Amino acid sequence: MYAQAFFVAVFGLAAIGFGVVVFRTSSMVRSALALLFSQTAVGCMFLAMQTEFLGVLQIMMMATEMSIMAIFMVMFMMDPGGMGGMDMTHQKRFSIGAGVVAAGVTIVVAFWVDWGPVTVEAPDAAMQTRALGMELLGRSMLIFETAGVTILTAMIAATAVAIPVQARANKGEMESPE
Amino acid sequence: MTAILIVALVTGAILFGIGVYGALSQTNLVMIMMGVELILAGALVNLVAFWRFLHPEIYAGQMFVLVVMTVMAVEMAVGFGVAIARFRARGSVEMEEARDLKG
Repeated sequence: MYAQAFFVAVFGLAAIGFGVVVFRTSSMVRSALALLFSQTAVGCMFLAMQTEFLGVLQIMMMATEMSIMAIFMVMFMMDPGGMGGMDMTHQKRFSIGAGVVAAGVTIVVAFWVDWGPVTVEAPDAAMQTRALGMELLGRSMLIFETAGVTILTAMIAATAVAIPVQARANKGEMESPE
Repeated sequence: MTAILIVALVTGAILFGIGVYGALSQTNLVMIMMGVELILAGALVNLVAFWRFLHPEIYAGQMFVLVVMTVMAVEMAVGFGVAIARFRARGSVEMEEARDLKG
């Protein structure tokens, strides 16, 4: 139990530390990598909380997602290396206030609420995966299928938005831009 | 065991706060998306902690985590689609320059 508390706390601190680095560094590539480490630390927290399937899924998904994000950073940013030391923030004081209030209120709620009896033993990993599979293909099947269709719709929508206007105009879908 | 639950909830709350700061303070679209990712990561930590320490027998909790992960993926896909369209139109993804989107 002490080992579990230790690892949850260590990975939690790592997730918070790298989360802070995301907005502190002037290099956008470093920001993307810091977010990758933060999300990986969150995945490791899941593993420390004996939620093996979701932990591995989180680490795999975020590794892919943040690698793509780093590529987009290099593509789109004016100064991806952060060598120019550009300040890319606005309404800083308001944002800090909003962040502190959001975190503070949530922490107060976490301490205030009586969470009731806490379960000590978690189901083993194989049992969890089996039960989650049964849940996905049983009671939650409609939600699962809706999530799948939503991802498909988002992929099609993102591709449609990203196609150059000229290419769409050539196909007669819209007027050519001036 | 309640201490571990509280540690997880506080971690989720702080990640949420950092994400709110990032989403509100950044001027670049991709950096704003990073803030939203941190907000959702905070929500994920809380959901897993609730499932593990309060109701490990109800797998709808894990299902909820999968739904949030789907939202993260969808947000990335649509966000990058919009970023590409914006970059093609204006050569920048700075949101300070996107006032013409205001309705």
